[in-house]
Amino acid sequence: MVTLNVNGQAYQVNADLGTPLLWVLRDIIGLTGTKYGCGIEVCGACTVLVNGEAERSCDMDLSEAVGRKITTVEGLSTDNSHPLQKAWIAQQVPQCGYCQSGMLMACASMMKSNPNPTDAEINAEINNICVCGTYQRIRAGIHTAAKL
Amino acid sequence: MTIETPVPTAEKTQVSRRGVLGSAGALMIGLVMPGPARREMIAAAAGVSASVNAWVQIASNETVTLFISCAEMGQGIMTGLAQILAEDLMVDWTKVRVVAAPTDAVYNNPAFGMQATGGSSAVAGYYTPLRQSGAAARDMLLAAAAQTWGVTPSQCTVSNGVVTRTGTTQTLTYGQLAALAATMPVPTNPVLTPDNLLRLIGKPIKRVDLPLKVNGKAVYGIDVRVPGMVYAAIKHPPAYGGTVASVASNPNVVNLGNAVAVVADNTWKAIQSARSLSVQWTIPSASSSMTSASILTQAQQLMTSGPALVAETVGDAAGNMGLATKKLDVTYQFPFLAHACMEPLNCTVDLKTDSCTVWAPTQAQTLVQSTASTITGLPISAITVKPTFLGGGLGRKFELDFITQALQIAVAIKKPVKLTWSREEDFSNDWYRPFALVRVQAGLDANNNVVSWIYRNVSESILAQHGYIDHGVEDSQATEGATGLSYNFMSRLVDWVEHPATVPVGFWRSVGNSINAYAVESAIDELALLAGIDPLALRQQLLVNDPRSLAVVNAAAQMANWGTPPASGHARGIAFCNSFGTLVCHVVDVSNPSKYSVRVNNVWTAVDCGRAINPNQVEAQIQGGIIHGMTGALWGQIPINKGMSTVKNFSNYRMARMSDMPKVQVQIINSGQPIGGMGEPGVPPIGPAIAAAYYRLTGTRVRNLPFFPGAPGGGDS
Repeated sequence: MVTLNVNGQAYQVNADLGTPLLWVLRDIIGLTGTKYGCGIEVCGACTVLVNGEAERSCDMDLSEAVGRKITTVEGLSTDNSHPLQKAWIAQQVPQCGYCQSGMLMACASMMKSNPNPTDAEINAEINNICVCGTYQRIRAGIHTAAKL
Repeated sequence: MTIETPVPTAEKTQVSRRGVLGSAGALMIGLVMPGPARREMIAAAAGVSASVNAWVQIASNETVTLFISCAEMGQGIMTGLAQILAEDLMVDWTKVRVVAAPTDAVYNNPAFGMQATGGSSAVAGYYTPLRQSGAAARDMLLAAAAQTWGVTPSQCTVSNGVVTRTGTTQTLTYGQLAALAATMPVPTNPVLTPDNLLRLIGKPIKRVDLPLKVNGKAVYGIDVRVPGMVYAAIKHPPAYGGTVASVASNPNVVNLGNAVAVVADNTWKAIQSARSLSVQWTIPSASSSMTSASILTQAQQLMTSGPALVAETVGDAAGNMGLATKKLDVTYQFPFLAHACMEPLNCTVDLKTDSCTVWAPTQAQTLVQSTASTITGLPISAITVKPTFLGGGLGRKFELDFITQALQIAVAIKKPVKLTWSREEDFSNDWYRPFALVRVQAGLDANNNVVSWIYRNVSESILAQHGYIDHGVEDSQATEGATGLSYNFMSRLVDWVEHPATVPVGFWRSVGNSINAYAVESAIDELALLAGIDPLALRQQLLVNDPRSLAVVNAAAQMANWGTPPASGHARGIAFCNSFGTLVCHVVDVSNPSKYSVRVNNVWTAVDCGRAINPNQVEAQIQGGIIHGMTGALWGQIPINKGMSTVKNFSNYRMARMSDMPKVQVQIINSGQPIGGMGEPGVPPIGPAIAAAYYRLTGTRVRNLPFFPGAPGGGDS
């Protein structure tokens, strides 16, 4: 049994320490906002913040996550008051929405160090996959959030 | 405006037929279909279990509930259909609640005769019946108000869910009128709101599902959790058509015959156990020797020898070739392509002695229900299919393989179970867009008339492989996008040769159109070069008798300032396609070719879908179609070796990413023609538009797709 800090809450987790954080969040804690997409750190659907930095949770063992502050999409806000959430709705970004949890977390991480990124900086930084092709609206959403 | 999607443990709204009418103070109205009008009125009665056959429910607390029959897979259909339904109802949009409808025959898509989502058919299929349903409900509410006041309905007006007695300040709300309205006769031909007074249709209404999609609350199939459930993973044979020879007996292992499932107490453990599980397989010899090269060789033989099934013939195309002064004879090659939906395949089943509940991200609700009935032996009435959000559908989630497996596992282990495919199983066991070989022979006369057009497609049959038609019968999916072209060729012959390969093939967003539009539009571009004329001018000449198509092509060209020189180091290309009743022309600007990519800077798109219900979502579907088509044309390929895909994950399947996204500008032409689809038509013309531009940029004509085979998939940032 280990203690995991997710979205400011302490969770007692009984799982093999080699279990990827993604599956601890989804199947054991029940926070299903973080998505499984590839399991090999390529697609970014599972992106969460670990001590404020974007990490792909599909390849982070539970043992590595213990003692760190984990933030999932549910931790942005539950009432859609986070600037990125507001901007995503204002720009009507999501289509199927499956990748957007990871996108939002990747963007949140980027904007901590670069609060007003250019399109070129966004292109260089955000390489999560969105099969629906919402990229143009994600860029617009980031620019909108930067002004909020 | 709120939205309700099924949460596994939450009770769903349940309603009964007329027997309890009025007891809950609610009005429900069934779908007013063409032909005999549906007369049932059913009322809401929470907790009463019965089949639901209604679209509009108005509760005494003024809540208006709209039941949406289609799968929400990103196309915004919950919003689009709600706009249509709410328009003539004249309801306060802010009080509307949108609910995913359960599976019931009353919700059948008129385009399919069953409840299913695909073929870009939802708005086209449901538009008229939903408008009539909304208008009928409004008239019944008006009639109830008129009866209450002892006046005629013409002495009542309605706005935002409130009826006013003309010339007075007396009002009644929909909530107050609902119970009485439910007793009024259903009007058979209610008057629809005239176009100039539309408040919702044609407006960029914000999507109802997005608030749930930015905070993790949206429940996709993969998120379903049922008390006491176990988690299952799947292991398929190492070649298509394989079967289990033997697997060691184990209480956590289920032999499905053509695959093996493993259950565990979380998804990760199940996937790991399935990977390491030892299984002996029997592989058909035809499959184990099948490779991309063998499939291509066979296709080349079939291209020459046939037998070909004629899909379309006009005039004497073979004879007319003799009139040609210039001839084109080119062959295009298309690889198998994966769907790669962001949400891997999954299905959750809770099987009890006398009932079965299935949660699935499915495009084929009715078929899931019948499959569950067949596998469990329970009657249809005992099967509940709970809709969930789909993390992409793209045609893959029309299939029933993952549904069937979850049901079989549930039957075997007698516990609630969620099956989740790993991404590796998803890439390896897709129903791919077919490999195809297309030969186009065309002849121009001295005036650049296309005197002859001979088109042959060699590919597997999607419909025969699914058992919808027999092998050896023309498959419409193979030639769609090649037949019924708007171009005024003086003769044409379009045929198809069935390829007998056994790689599973299926419906990939826009299906045959994405293959055939690439070949048709590339050939048109090559003809323009042969003729020495501008490709826009050739299309204008070929569309001279088709003003609707001509308007779309001209609009896109104008947006792109066609005719002015592109920037230095840039080139433009143009392509057009009419698919699913919607006309799309893309003009692209490209630059910076490199080993594995070319930069697509801009796409200017003109689209005529008859009438745009939600222009913001029309634009979104064009943006998405462009990205889907770019991935498919520039990088997508599923090579086959020893009867199996060599692609296992995104690491060797390059997807379009943020840095690939062009600036897309969309002009919508509301022509007033019959409504077409929007989910797919953005896809077909993007590949050939880029190919045309790429040729002018580099001098290389891409006839073998993808443009950039072997591009690395990319990884962590």
